[in-house]
Amino acid sequence: MQVELAQASFDPALRLSDFTAALGDEGAVVSFTGRARGQSRGGGPVSTLVLESYRGVTLQSMQAIAGDAHRMFAITASLVIHRAGRIVPGEAIVFVATASRHRRAAFEAADYLMDRLKTEAVFWKREEHGGSSTWIEPTAKDREDAMRWHERKE
Amino acid sequence: MNHAQLDVELCGRLADACGPSLRLTIPENGLPVTAMLASLACAYPAVSEALGRIRIKACINETIVSEEAVVRPGDTVALFPPVSGG
Repeated sequence: MQVELAQASFDPALRLSDFTAALGDEGAVVSFTGRARGQSRGGGPVSTLVLESYRGVTLQSMQAIAGDAHRMFAITASLVIHRAGRIVPGEAIVFVATASRHRRAAFEAADYLMDRLKTEAVFWKREEHGGSSTWIEPTAKDREDAMRWHERKE
Repeated sequence: MNHAQLDVELCGRLADACGPSLRLTIPENGLPVTAMLASLACAYPAVSEALGRIRIKACINETIVSEEAVVRPGDTVALFPPVSGG
């Protein structure tokens, strides 16, 4: 399990290549890359996405989520990278990769990681457009997606 | 009773009203989070509206704490509005 808070842009393809190269006999590798979009939910243009983090607490929250993924699914390795700071459209915001002997665990763990990162990771996010900015919060759909796993744990 | 200065960091939208850090005078033997929030609201009316409206979590020395936790001089204190997620 490797978890990183990145202050600068990173190359998801390169990180996936390194992740895969370090594996053993796993038969499945799943990855997801979330990219900053140039359009807000309301349809307006976004020039920059700003992700504010807080000292060690943000990384701790990401590590807790990754630890839960390893407890819940039969994955053998994971890599979670999340950007902080100023992100321009097209840049990667988040990257997760998971590996397992068979595909189901890797698929589900990657899905689970993203659902929880989207709602619980300690970030405050705002979109800048022109001279103003708007704070962004998880949508009802994001929360609903994350709740699926709570139901499953019970 | 002696008093000490404490800098409280404000995260996310909480910083919109008065900036990312506010100075507060607290008793030398500390005070609970709820009392600290009340003192902040009193000292900085511009943030009091946000403090009353948003569910706030306090963070002391990089640990999210309950409202009963005691803030002491020298602690690294921050207030979190609800997180955005990643």
